[in-house]
Amino acid sequence: MKHQRRKIRRTAEDKVMDTVIFILMTLILLVTLYPFYYVIIISFNDGVDALNGGIYFWPRKFTLANYQQFLSDAKWLHALLISILKTVAGTTLTILFTCMVGYGLSAPNLMFRKFYNVVLLVCMYFSGGLIPYYLVLNSYGLLNTFWVYVIPTMFSTYYCILAISFFREIPYELYESARLDGAKEIRIYTSIVLPLSKPLIATLGLFAAVGQWNAWSDTAFFAPGKKSLRTLAFLMRDVITKNQVDVTSKAAMMQASRYGQVTTTSVQMAAMIITILPIVLVYPFLQKHFVKGIMLGAVKG
Amino acid sequence: MKMKMEKSQRMRTFKRQLPLHGFVFAGLIFLLLFSLIPMAGVIIAFEDYDIKAGLTGIFTSQFVGLKHFKAFLTDRKFPILMRNTLCISVLKLIFSFPLPIIFAIMISEMGGKVYKRVVQTVSYLPHFFSWIIVSGILFTFFSTNTGVVNEVLLKLGAIDKPIPILMDPKYYYGLAVFSEIWKETGWGAIIYLAAIAGISPTLYESARIDGAGRMQCIRHITLPSIKGTVAILLILAIGGLFGSNFDQAMLLGNTMNLSRSEILEVFIYKIGLGQGRYSFAAAAGLFQSVISFILVLSANAVSKKVSGSSLF
Repeated sequence: MKHQRRKIRRTAEDKVMDTVIFILMTLILLVTLYPFYYVIIISFNDGVDALNGGIYFWPRKFTLANYQQFLSDAKWLHALLISILKTVAGTTLTILFTCMVGYGLSAPNLMFRKFYNVVLLVCMYFSGGLIPYYLVLNSYGLLNTFWVYVIPTMFSTYYCILAISFFREIPYELYESARLDGAKEIRIYTSIVLPLSKPLIATLGLFAAVGQWNAWSDTAFFAPGKKSLRTLAFLMRDVITKNQVDVTSKAAMMQASRYGQVTTTSVQMAAMIITILPIVLVYPFLQKHFVKGIMLGAVKG
Repeated sequence: MKMKMEKSQRMRTFKRQLPLHGFVFAGLIFLLLFSLIPMAGVIIAFEDYDIKAGLTGIFTSQFVGLKHFKAFLTDRKFPILMRNTLCISVLKLIFSFPLPIIFAIMISEMGGKVYKRVVQTVSYLPHFFSWIIVSGILFTFFSTNTGVVNEVLLKLGAIDKPIPILMDPKYYYGLAVFSEIWKETGWGAIIYLAAIAGISPTLYESARIDGAGRMQCIRHITLPSIKGTVAILLILAIGGLFGSNFDQAMLLGNTMNLSRSEILEVFIYKIGLGQGRYSFAAAAGLFQSVISFILVLSANAVSKKVSGSSLF
């Protein structure tokens, strides 16, 4: 499409537009990336030194102390462990369970499909709100247990609709021939459907994993009473909101720093980098899949 | 067709499909436990519910009618909550709704393939970071004693003393809208990019041959082609007017700017889970849901009339 367009003579308008767009896009790139870059350099800078300001492009007093401090703090490490466990377990359960239901619903000529769809849509558009949800989870005995992170998130109507439209694209003959060969449905699901659904799994996996990893309100709502269940996100929220109220002066911050060269802020920067690192590492590989996945939902949903 | 099907044949189909129904049934059980029962639980908004009453108590507690709704509507915080919730949402609708459209059009007009990909990849990225990270970044940039922005402005002599952007209530609305734009504009553009990609290139080619400039192409081809997508997303956005961003309000809000940052959802959380006034908080939540629902329905009806696009 672009090649053909180039054949048409470039007018002055074209040149002006190209330049304006190029400049704007570069500005957008800078505004998006610089904050992250800034957090990175502060996380590698001596904490007390950073309080004097003036660091914009690279660390002034390079140190790994902030990361060492983070990694030697049992509280942060435990939170990191909980976050990893919850993300891995939660994402796996969500994908396996939601796709299984989606596979069931994707079968053509499924009886009672209308009824199933109505239930699905009602559950997608309506909810009882936070309070009834909390009370129900409470009565199931899920509050303040690890399960509250992974069981209520096992199924998502939105993901299920994505899965259904994806499974409909798989040629139905594949299932039929497997059935003729005597394969059980659960086996068709695990050895035909799932292996053929890598783009879907990548999309749902990314969404579910990011959701689990980033969530702090599930801890705040449903597991506030247990220190051992605190996640990285929750702990970070604690530190940031405490820091945010600028009641502590610079001098107080320097004095309060027990470790000489790190401050709560500089360790927080290291924690932020550690939190976003997994997302940044995985994301570029999944990007092409999730863009497709979103379209699927946009067209059919 | 189905009506004519023999009973025995229906039984056979059902039997053959049994494992599939099993899969679906597992999902239904889940939805019953974690979606439908909580939905029925809104009934506590009309009761005096005590948490000791457990699950059955939800349906058997003392019925008190609209008592909690009256209490909520006459609460001295009610007008403040309404103002904040609506002002922030309306400002977001005005400022951050059109930006993804403009951004998507600009991306689609970009020539260089590699640079285009880089811009897209980078612009989606902030969407995947939590509001915690974003609030941490905002703190490092705008705090009064260590923030970069205040530091640079002070050095340049543009201001005499640091601006308390994170603390002063009068900056909160701007902060909320700005941070939303920064985080979500790139992601919001995805859907418009898809709509634009679906436009036939021959339309542009013939327009160019007929002597149309690029701005004219955007005005007469791109914009009309994505009108339907815009309408649908606008309906959704209007439906969301009453449900602001809980994470954002909890993380950017603090004791200093509470008069502007406290929105309905924050209030429900604090009153309900913090103070244990479950029935009262559930009433506030139900109030919010009902208004949101009315908003979606009306936006849908208006859009159907004006542009012919609608959700349902």
